[in-house]
Amino acid sequence: MAENILIDIIHIIIPILIVASSFVAVYLKDLIAAAIAVAAMSLLLSLEFFILQAPDVAIAEAGVGACLTTAILVIAIRATKRMEDEA
Amino acid sequence: MSGMSKIVKTISATILPFITIYGLYIIAHGHLTPGGGFQGGAIVASGFAMIVVAFGSIWTMEKIKEKHLSIIESLGAIGFIGLAFFGLLFGAKMFFANFLVKQDVIPFFNQIGQGLSNINTAGLLPLMNLAVGLKVIAGLFAIVLVMAYATSKIKEGTAK
Amino acid sequence: MAMRNSAAIIFFVIVAIFIILGLLSIHPFGDTSDINTSMDDHIIQNTQKETGADNGVTAVVFDYRGFDTLGEATVLFTAVAGVILVFRRLNK
Repeated sequence: MAENILIDIIHIIIPILIVASSFVAVYLKDLIAAAIAVAAMSLLLSLEFFILQAPDVAIAEAGVGACLTTAILVIAIRATKRMEDEA
Repeated sequence: MSGMSKIVKTISATILPFITIYGLYIIAHGHLTPGGGFQGGAIVASGFAMIVVAFGSIWTMEKIKEKHLSIIESLGAIGFIGLAFFGLLFGAKMFFANFLVKQDVIPFFNQIGQGLSNINTAGLLPLMNLAVGLKVIAGLFAIVLVMAYATSKIKEGTAK
Repeated sequence: MAMRNSAAIIFFVIVAIFIILGLLSIHPFGDTSDINTSMDDHIIQNTQKETGADNGVTAVVFDYRGFDTLGEATVLFTAVAGVILVFRRLNK
């Protein structure tokens, strides 16, 4: 019973953190920090997939979302401007 | 990007074999444990992307060209679609027929699963995992390497 | 700019109303009692006999739904070809 309550609490906390890190990624003006926030969101999403007993999707999300997407975003930001303009 | 400090280079070069072995383990055990070709290939490509970040894309482009990566990726694609077409000739005579399982003529991957340790099972699935793994490794690494090399050229101002 | 912000807020509210109305009618979490599960049951019970694989997900991805994986491989190949095509001129 205690384990079920713990799993329920984790199921509540992790989606809140996912939404919060997504808001941070939209809010930040420094684009590299926003890319790191997207990576954190992807890692939390991978943890949520693992808790929902889908380890295949969790491995794919951790590899692609947290590593390669961040690398490609940072490479693309490096070729352009780092700070977002005040529009 | 002309590479990072000596500490980062040493740590990256030390830890790359472990990441590669882990990704290849996930590919090879794709029909037994969670994972498969795409997941293991993404892990190995992440390790190579770490090398690109640590050593710089110009140094990496001297070691391996994107032409070779294109050849490896095309080999993976040809292997995958060729194994699918071999199903038209043997076994159930279907596209994507798993003709290696449930037969005794070819003694490779033809057993039925007996626990998590028997890798000699599941017919075509390990070969297809290997083909898709090669394809994903070469493809994702080629994307990261080509983008990093082109943007470093832009940074230097030598791009046309 | 105020007009653009107000248009964004109106669009956000409309999309949020549709999403909330859709979420009100989904199943409870983890409840599969009133879902048609005959395909799932067949795959779960017969995967080890038919394909010999212990990992059912890989058996579905590469054997039962091979065409899906073929399309995914085609998408990856097209993406890599497009990236190399776009950045080739910069690499010379």
